[in-house]
Amino acid sequence: MELSDANLQTLTEYLKKTLDPDPAIRRPAEKFLESVEGSQNYPLLLLTLLEKSQENVIKVCASVTFKNYIKRNWRIVEDEPNKICESDRIAIKANIVPLMLSSPEQIQKQLSDAISIIGREDFPQKWPDLLTEMVNRFQSGDFHVINGVLRTAHSLFKRYRHEFKSNELWTEIKLVLDAFALPLTNLFKATIELCSTHANDASALKVLFSSLILIAKLFYSLNFQDLPEFFEDNMETWMTNFHSLLTLDNKLLQTDDEEEAGLLELLKSQICDNAALYAQKYDEEFQPYLPRFVTAIWNLLVTTGQEVKYDLLVSNAIQFLASVCERPHYKHLFEDQNTLTSICEKVIVPNMEFRAADEEAFEDNSEEYIRRDLEGSDIDTRRRAACDLVRGLCKFFEGPVTGIFSGYVNSMLQEYAKNPSVNWKHKDAAIYLVTSLASKAQTQKHGITQANELVNLTEFFVNHIQPDLKSATVNEFPVLKADGIKYIMIFRNQVPKEQLLVSIPLLINHLQAESIVVHTYAAHALERLFTMRGTNNATLITAAEMAPFVEVLLTNLFKALTLPGSSENEYIMKAIMRSFSLLQESIIPYIPSVITQLTQKLLAVSKNPSKPHFNHYMFESICLSVRITCKANPEAVGSFEEALFLVFTEILQNDVQEFIPYVFQVMSLLLEMHKNEIPSSYMALFPHLLQPVLWERTGNIPPLVRLLQAYLERGASTIASAAADKI
Amino acid sequence: VRTHSQHMKLFKNKGKDETTLRRQRVEVSIELRKAKKDEQILKRRNISVHVKEENPSLGQDRAYEIIQPSLEEIVEAMNGDDTELQLLATQATRRLLSRHKDPPINQIIELGIIPRMVEFLGRADNAALQFEAAWALTNIASGTSEHTRAVVEGGAISAFISLLSSPHMHISEQSVWALGNIAGDGPLYRDALIARDVIPPLLALVSPATPVGFLRNITWTLSNLCRNKNPCPPLDAVKKILPVLIFLLQHEDKEVISDSCWAVSYLTDSCNDRIQVVVDTGILPRLVELMVSPDVNVVTPALRAIGNVVTGTDQQTQEAIDAGVLAVLPRLLRHTKPVIQKEAAWTLSNIAAGPCQQIQQIITCGLLPPLVELLSKGDFKAQKEAVWVVANFTTGGTVDQVVELVRSGVLKPLLNLLLAKDSKTILTILETISKLFLAAEKLGETEKLCLLVEELDGLDKIEDLQNHENDMVYRAALDIIEKYFSGEENTDLEPQTGQDGLYDFSVEKQDFNF
Repeated sequence: MELSDANLQTLTEYLKKTLDPDPAIRRPAEKFLESVEGSQNYPLLLLTLLEKSQENVIKVCASVTFKNYIKRNWRIVEDEPNKICESDRIAIKANIVPLMLSSPEQIQKQLSDAISIIGREDFPQKWPDLLTEMVNRFQSGDFHVINGVLRTAHSLFKRYRHEFKSNELWTEIKLVLDAFALPLTNLFKATIELCSTHANDASALKVLFSSLILIAKLFYSLNFQDLPEFFEDNMETWMTNFHSLLTLDNKLLQTDDEEEAGLLELLKSQICDNAALYAQKYDEEFQPYLPRFVTAIWNLLVTTGQEVKYDLLVSNAIQFLASVCERPHYKHLFEDQNTLTSICEKVIVPNMEFRAADEEAFEDNSEEYIRRDLEGSDIDTRRRAACDLVRGLCKFFEGPVTGIFSGYVNSMLQEYAKNPSVNWKHKDAAIYLVTSLASKAQTQKHGITQANELVNLTEFFVNHIQPDLKSATVNEFPVLKADGIKYIMIFRNQVPKEQLLVSIPLLINHLQAESIVVHTYAAHALERLFTMRGTNNATLITAAEMAPFVEVLLTNLFKALTLPGSSENEYIMKAIMRSFSLLQESIIPYIPSVITQLTQKLLAVSKNPSKPHFNHYMFESICLSVRITCKANPEAVGSFEEALFLVFTEILQNDVQEFIPYVFQVMSLLLEMHKNEIPSSYMALFPHLLQPVLWERTGNIPPLVRLLQAYLERGASTIASAAADKI
Repeated sequence: VRTHSQHMKLFKNKGKDETTLRRQRVEVSIELRKAKKDEQILKRRNISVHVKEENPSLGQDRAYEIIQPSLEEIVEAMNGDDTELQLLATQATRRLLSRHKDPPINQIIELGIIPRMVEFLGRADNAALQFEAAWALTNIASGTSEHTRAVVEGGAISAFISLLSSPHMHISEQSVWALGNIAGDGPLYRDALIARDVIPPLLALVSPATPVGFLRNITWTLSNLCRNKNPCPPLDAVKKILPVLIFLLQHEDKEVISDSCWAVSYLTDSCNDRIQVVVDTGILPRLVELMVSPDVNVVTPALRAIGNVVTGTDQQTQEAIDAGVLAVLPRLLRHTKPVIQKEAAWTLSNIAAGPCQQIQQIITCGLLPPLVELLSKGDFKAQKEAVWVVANFTTGGTVDQVVELVRSGVLKPLLNLLLAKDSKTILTILETISKLFLAAEKLGETEKLCLLVEELDGLDKIEDLQNHENDMVYRAALDIIEKYFSGEENTDLEPQTGQDGLYDFSVEKQDFNF
């Protein structure tokens, strides 16, 4: 392809067609472009278009196409042909940086990505002047250009954060440091100065702060592998400025958006990361600066609001304090009683508060709420960070911290008592505080396994948790109900058994709560209690102790599945399974109703199986029903077959792949219950089991083998006579 | 072929052998850091102004009285025939080169007067001139490699070697110093000196009567003759120097001892054959003793020397153990200086890479508690090394020994370090955790270990590492989760399967992502 106007024109036409919503036009155009991308000059034509086309949409389209082209073709794979001719490669590398820097932001981003893809392959050996070319632009004074350079540098250098140390990598870093560290430092200083000269110019500040964020990110990448000599020598400059940026505020940079972090938050957050990096890895050199950062970050926390946009900043900042306070030689920074009190009061307690955003999630996004709260996917949340800080402080100051918090817990509980409907959040925070203070080690299977001995968990349980759960109205203060249930769940190994037994009817009652979180927690708590082991590895809670509650338990569990939002609630289904397993023959009287409900559920979910855990426990429950019932009364197998076969046939006919292996296993179980000949209902199915398509899915094979075995053991002669021709 | 190789296979049949486990000092030759402050100085400039008593001819040498001639005047005077002026010019040059800040080494070299000063070294009739020239040349040689080269190419090596036997002690001492600077430049000049037989006259200077200041200089120069690799110094030279070093190691002066230790540390920073040469002298017990000297300048090189020895064969390592290294390491692991902690942990990691008998000695000598302490509270550099100790220990240790390690509380700090900002360390920890699980499997205690890992917040961290950018880290984390933490539900069901009716749908496990 020549670099001619005619070719540019053709390319423009095709690019335009690739944007067409009609696939009949779009697809052939895409095909065409792919077919010509091997030609010489193709990438240069794209670069020409993205620079010079009259239409903006073509410019953008050309830049995206160019980036994808680079992504697909730039890497030279051994033993494969070079997909871009050498002269094009040279021309691209010679032109792309100035082109990127002179382009509008939308195109700049694409070209910046392309540069980092090329850089990953060619930098530094095959692209020796890239760095100088970039660094020279720092002097341009044009921050649009500078940010383009910084962004590109960031995408080139960020891999230093996760790659293994190697000679090759370190040679590259050294090269980068030699060319880049000093200009970056000068740019950093100059940018900060500009920030104060333009302190009243909002649009200038935004650009400058974007630069500062990128500079702070580059600092992180360049300092990650080891502390470079240059940065050790210039630590004063960097740290002093980072420190003052942490304390800086400017009305013009504050955003109205409550959710999205603004420039100021992003910058401070990155600075916290930088300080944490130094504190962790270069403690010896960073020691003189650390106390200042502790103070600044702590003040930052005290003055930062509750809005979601600050979450990342706050959790980063708290994590920084948490990691520092555990180190023996910084103990002194925290040990003063006033300091401790102030950290507890101003940093920890406020960040444990239940916020509007939490309330929203509790009501409208309960699945996410449960995942965060119950399963610990809360690594970046404020509460989690605050909790980690409590644990960090307890390492050296367990007594004083427990003492301080006890005071808070009491006053929050008093607030609540004064006016529960207004102050219920105080109680929530109190419970959370007690939980984080008391729990030293925790597992899903056993709950808390090591507790703070200074906290009286049973007393708190009896005085403050049980009363909430005993209240006649299960739908009142749902958050506190959920807190109470969670308390039982995680402290189940600390609370004495008689208290657990008192709780069981309360939990069963809360299966009826409208709040998804509350009835889910109730189901989950019951399930966990039923798995607890006492002496001799027997279950702690016995079937006999459960006898008075069997009916209401089963009723409420199945009713809970009909509550809005919980039709495929895996916690409830798991609790059903666990209840069957614990209660054994005491469920037999309820089996007719139970099996009807289970098969209806099975029929419903088989239309569109989407919750694998739910489905698994559902099949487990079906199997348990069969086993428990047939153990007492083998004749009952017929009624199960009657109830289940209809649904099974439908599953097999509709080829519901997720369920077929389960169906085979349940059928094996049922068939194995027969002592004599195979019923004819099974024989009718036999030929279908030999269809090759079933055996193509590996998941089917083990259950099919088992099922065939059951057939052969019981019906070898029938098969030999009746189905011989089919084999 | 190594004596223990058969033995090793019995205990380390996990695809690794001791050669990969033992980590030599230099893994990466590129440094981003500032040159280490704890290293011995390679070259030194003589900026001392307290030379009056050593140099009677300079009695009136007081800065404010002296009129410094111009560079042109210096060149002219040096090249002239007037001995008095030659001395004054050389003295002026020396003074320029001895000033505290920015000595004009380049300018002096450009004057082209080095050959002339080398010539002055040969003026046995004029001790003052010899001394001034020797001093000036010493200071030129103390600069960059290029500076040293200028002195060597000016023909100074032979002249200085001859001056070692000068009847004037201060001249002989200055020559020792100059030769030290030349030797410190690198293996090329070091070996050039050795080839010109610098060693015999140098060693001849050592006697019980040698003043301590002089002895310090000699020791330092000897250490430079032992220093540097690629190649390491010739074997016969080393064999000549070693007996003297051993003598010096018994000296009472801290500096002499320190530099002797440095010399030994260089000699052991080499292949096993060279380590053997040092071990054969029987010096290890003395080195171990020096590892706990009150002077950190002695501790550092002594620890290094022993650290190097234990990178050697199992037998060499055993010699270090027999010399008592395990008894002194706890103190060093708890040392206030992070570098010492780090070196001590590195040393221990190489002992832990040995056969299980040596691992047993680690346990018996009470190294586990300080190791756990270091892992939880040490400086990051030291923590990284401590992770290697645990990694090597779990690779080579017997199941019982690994159990002992876990009992000592290693797991909590080890799991905490999964938050380290260093991919390699994270990967090493993950691999170690996998090995712990292998041991737990053998004992049928997998579930117990799972719970322990979860209790210590390890599970959260491992789960989080499944998002790590580094592919190997991500895969190692995923592997652990899949192998040991994905069947959580089934472990609940298992005890009852078959007896009370719970059905085992285990074939379906692969469809789940718990």
